[in-house]
Amino acid sequence: MADNNKFYFAKSHEWISPNSNNIYNLGISDFAQSELGDVVYVQLPEIGKQYKKDEKIGEIESVKSVSEIYAPVDLTIKSVNSKLNETPELINNEPLGDGFIAQIELNNPSDLSLLMDKNSYESFVKSNHE
Amino acid sequence: MNNKNTDNNENEDKKTPLYDKHRNLGAKLVSFAGFSMPLYYKSIIDEHLNVRNNSGLFDISHMGEIIVKGKDAGIFLDYVLTADISSIFPNTITYSLILNENGGVIDDLTIYKFSNESYMIVANAANTEKDFAWIHTQMLNLQKTKTDNGQYMFQNVTVENYSEKIGLLSVQGPKSRNIIYPLVEDISDNYGRDENNFCNIFNFQYNIKSLKELNHFEFSCVRFKEIGIEAVISRSGYTGEFGFEIFTDADDVNKLWDYILEHKELSNLLPVGLGARDTLRFEAALPLYGHELDETITPYDAGLEKYLSKNKDFIGKEALEKIKNKEKKLIFFKLAGKQIPRHLQRILDENLKPIGCVASGTYSPLNKMPIGSAYISDSNVTPSMLKNFYIDIRGNFEKAEVVMPPFHKIKK
Repeated sequence: MADNNKFYFAKSHEWISPNSNNIYNLGISDFAQSELGDVVYVQLPEIGKQYKKDEKIGEIESVKSVSEIYAPVDLTIKSVNSKLNETPELINNEPLGDGFIAQIELNNPSDLSLLMDKNSYESFVKSNHE
Repeated sequence: MNNKNTDNNENEDKKTPLYDKHRNLGAKLVSFAGFSMPLYYKSIIDEHLNVRNNSGLFDISHMGEIIVKGKDAGIFLDYVLTADISSIFPNTITYSLILNENGGVIDDLTIYKFSNESYMIVANAANTEKDFAWIHTQMLNLQKTKTDNGQYMFQNVTVENYSEKIGLLSVQGPKSRNIIYPLVEDISDNYGRDENNFCNIFNFQYNIKSLKELNHFEFSCVRFKEIGIEAVISRSGYTGEFGFEIFTDADDVNKLWDYILEHKELSNLLPVGLGARDTLRFEAALPLYGHELDETITPYDAGLEKYLSKNKDFIGKEALEKIKNKEKKLIFFKLAGKQIPRHLQRILDENLKPIGCVASGTYSPLNKMPIGSAYISDSNVTPSMLKNFYIDIRGNFEKAEVVMPPFHKIKK
């Protein structure tokens, strides 16, 4: 069973974390938001749509750059965080909390094993970006 | 996530003398004009708003300083640059373009006149080498050319690139005088006003003016209290706000940076990176070389004809006189949506026909909306008639509206 405080990270810097039933929250990591700087626009994924792992699900635009958000696993979008339409800066302020991007269902629950836990992700970031 | 625009090519980049200060402040460093520079320390938006409301400190030591000296320096610069140079008053600055023979813009510059025989050109970092090579070549060519009456002119000019010897800071914002005035010992208090004095940074004779009496685009020499550092200080900047630019010896600029930051509470000052420097200059509708200006754009296209002197001949003038119509027209616009326009994206008319390209696009922290500038290259389009037009932002056609800049003075 998945633990509610558990975050699973992808190398492309998205995370998913169990919310309730089979629903997971999806967002981007603190490292990712710090690299982007002030977020001013989020193109949210399409509700109900299924995405394959590594497929583009949306875009995050900061003052200086645009980044694509990728599906960390095969997933279906159940809902999106529409607060980001008015307050995109939530991604900077609470990347692992209220700054989540969408709620999703896993299409293959075993995909969780493809992702990193918090400690592995942090050492991955350290070894690749410092 | 994949960040497309971040350039991490830091290792091959040059560093300003303040590089370690930026790192220690936790700046996000990016490659700009061959230098590793701070993009922001904490937040572009917060740094931007702090300059509009209080004050900010910028390291702009990457910019170039070219020193032109000698009896013929003034007439030489009159020929190489578009603005009147020799006839301006000492202690004043003028903005000018430097053109190629076709009238294309090699760079946009500010020129500081210390005296009839000594001038400092401040150049864009990315263009300093190119400008220096161009100016130096023009000098050598002119010196070899006999005039109609068989004489050689321009024999008494020297051109030197001082860029690596000079550190340059900028303090900008409505409160910037609250921090600069108390930290500066006004040398003019101790000297006669008309007396010539010596500026050790450039080995120049110059006139002294009182710091507090400087108008916009005037400069003088000062000494900072306690640290005893000599500096050339001008009332100028690139933000649309009241502010100062401060030139000092490259070896002294770390001490000066610390001295100003130690007193930051005097004006609620924050260090500010190049990200906010760009959003500030763009809200003020100030041109940026590589965006509003380049060698394929004429001063008419860019709306900078007022910097072309009618009183003298200069390189590029002949070519410009043959141009009857503007080839492109620069417009400024705002967007109703939230996506930010970016350099070179297409402008589409109401029938989705391409009519031009984005020059600069950014987010306006003050107006909280995307804004931009564009060159309209379709000669049938007059900017005032442009009603419904779109920016092609990665396949999304975002509706835009023409506005009269500057953006930071628009009433909401």
